[in-house]
Amino acid sequence: MPTPLGRRQFLTGLSALAAGSTLAACSGQKSSTGGTSPSASGSAAAAPGEKITLNFWAWGTSQPGLVKAWNKANPDIQVKHTDAGGGTDSSTKMLTASRSGNAPDVGLVEYTTLPAMIVGEVASDITSHVQDIKSSFTEATWGQTTFNGAIYGIPQDVGPMAMVYNETRFKALGIELPTTWQDFATAAESVRKADSKSYLTVFSPQEFGNFAGLAQQAGSSWWKVDGDTWTVGIADEASMKVADFWQDLVERDLVKVEALLTPQYNKELNAGQVLTWPSALWAPGVIYGAAPGQAGKWAMARFPQWTQGDARVAYQGGSAAVVTTSSKQPEAAAKFAAWINSSKQGADIQLGTGQYPASILGQQAAVASKPPVLMPQQEDFWKLASEIAAETIPSISWGPNVNVASSAFQDAMTKALAKKTPLRDALSATQEAVVADMRKTGFKVNG
Amino acid sequence: MTTSSHAAPALTTTSGRGLPDRPPPRRRRRSWAPYAFVAPAVVLFVVFLLLPIGYAIYLSFQGLRLAPGGAFGRRVQVFVGLDNYKAAVTDPEFLAGFGRLAVYGLIAVPFTLGLALLFALLLDHPRTRARRFSRTAIFIPYAVPGVVASLLWGFMYLPSTSPFSWVSEAVGGGAIPFLDLPLLFPSIANIAVWGGVGFNMIIIYTSLRGIPVEIHESARIDGASEWQIARRIKVPLVAPALVLTGLFALIGTLQVYGEPTTLRPMTDSITQTWVPLMTIYRDAFTRDDLPLGSASSVLLALGTVVVSLLLLRITQKRAFGENG
Repeated sequence: MPTPLGRRQFLTGLSALAAGSTLAACSGQKSSTGGTSPSASGSAAAAPGEKITLNFWAWGTSQPGLVKAWNKANPDIQVKHTDAGGGTDSSTKMLTASRSGNAPDVGLVEYTTLPAMIVGEVASDITSHVQDIKSSFTEATWGQTTFNGAIYGIPQDVGPMAMVYNETRFKALGIELPTTWQDFATAAESVRKADSKSYLTVFSPQEFGNFAGLAQQAGSSWWKVDGDTWTVGIADEASMKVADFWQDLVERDLVKVEALLTPQYNKELNAGQVLTWPSALWAPGVIYGAAPGQAGKWAMARFPQWTQGDARVAYQGGSAAVVTTSSKQPEAAAKFAAWINSSKQGADIQLGTGQYPASILGQQAAVASKPPVLMPQQEDFWKLASEIAAETIPSISWGPNVNVASSAFQDAMTKALAKKTPLRDALSATQEAVVADMRKTGFKVNG
Repeated sequence: MTTSSHAAPALTTTSGRGLPDRPPPRRRRRSWAPYAFVAPAVVLFVVFLLLPIGYAIYLSFQGLRLAPGGAFGRRVQVFVGLDNYKAAVTDPEFLAGFGRLAVYGLIAVPFTLGLALLFALLLDHPRTRARRFSRTAIFIPYAVPGVVASLLWGFMYLPSTSPFSWVSEAVGGGAIPFLDLPLLFPSIANIAVWGGVGFNMIIIYTSLRGIPVEIHESARIDGASEWQIARRIKVPLVAPALVLTGLFALIGTLQVYGEPTTLRPMTDSITQTWVPLMTIYRDAFTRDDLPLGSASSVLLALGTVVVSLLLLRITQKRAFGENG
């Protein structure tokens, strides 16, 4: 959203929506076909030998290559790729487009927003089309797109959590690589003592997905659904433990509170003043993008653990391709989504652009590929990556209003850090906002 | 029906003026012409203003609620009465946004208008040189798009890229926390002032040029100083222009969105609900609650109209004389 939204633009935008929904109402195709019987409408639309065109919305550098490869191999099902913005923007647009009946056939969706796309009637149930590729993914990965037994998307990439760190600065300051969170706190202290301008890491109130991953690693489950009853655990004991841990580091000035990837943060990265980023396997590309001069100085390590010897990590980020309820060719769309995300060729294209594939085949292929440009010296990068990926926590479930949770979390955390109030309270506030929103919509929520 | 109602008065007028009778068909054609000419404007007005407003009002009474179906239900649009309005007026963050807006406005509006008036008077001063150049130089920031201006100033505010902080650090002080409270408000207002002064200055200046020269001359002959002329003659005479620019500034304040949104990634001090329009955007799009966003928009629009009318009422008598 690059321009300020004046009242006029806002109204013009609304008028576009108005026009769209009128059309949808006229054709009457929205809620009547919504997601229940995709195969019936699919076979009706495509006569044999007829050329089909599918629309595909996705962000990221691997998409053009994937689409090109598919189009070459499938002259009868041509795919048109549109970059509709990153995860949040793209999902927002898909929800709006879907209500007016002109969503793309296939869209990339982050795992976190998938439940919202299901209740928003964007993602359709593709169980009947994709049963045969289930074995291409691990249970933990497949669990991210399966809800109450129905499959709603095909995983494309995953982000098992890992820690990237500035190896050169670690050595220069004499810091030991932390393997537990207790060690992490000690290391943070040592860094401050060794160089008053440097911090072990930064803590940003904007990093909802990261915090959720930390909480999940500690044993929390932010959303659970049993039949039609939900349990929200954003403020459970495990999450509170994580909040207290960071609170302590913030209070002792052992981590810096600031937003990530601002010009300020990037400058500190380049100067070697931010030493780690506990995030996920996709981090090397991001750090390299912000600080290309750091190539060769950084390395990737396992995520710190709460208990020495554990290896459990959560996912941060990652996305799946969904077939929308607006698609008139759901069968062809599901075929396309399955191919780009589970074929060897698709995996190779993803790896070529630095994306960690979700499929088992792709993760095996990764082991043989070159390490990311940020750490050319770390030859066992992908081997370590595959070991980490094998230890991810299975069956993580996101809720239907992660968007509400994420915005509530960011604002509550920002306020808590600014006013120096407990981060625990910020989690409680997030929990309350999420439960209230779910109840308002009509979900049954425990507690 | 329309045809006859137009034809009848036409005939009466003709006979009333005592002109010879003309065939009615020609009259009828002439009476349709104006409608044809205004039609494009009316169509555009209806399609791009009335319909969207109507749709926004309609949406504000709807809500997305759970209905059976899918893995765990689906959200469908239903009528919810005044629920969205209740939610909007009881949302502490939405209301707090107006508070922040007030602080911002108390800085931005007086500075924009004050500087605009000052520059206009200086440009109008008979001994001012390089008038054309100065006018352009003051006006140029207005031509810079708001987002570009925000980015530009954002870089000047961020400690690592700020020239001001660089100087302050060089002389031994720390970096200046432009993007943290309490400096955040003047920092953001400054962007609006920087961009808005030129435009307002042009309006006031144009109005100044419209004052008949004889008035200045007679004042000068009477021995008035330039300062007295400015204070007692020019300012009262450009009061309508001041009211107009004041109104623009006020409406502009209620619609602040671009600057804080662009600066948000650079600082943790700006929340997603920092000003009302940001809350509306967040509700409508980030939280996928377009009905709530619509209700808040309707409230904001109504508020703007009410405040504008109040301002006009209060200032009208003084600015436009007793006829106002």
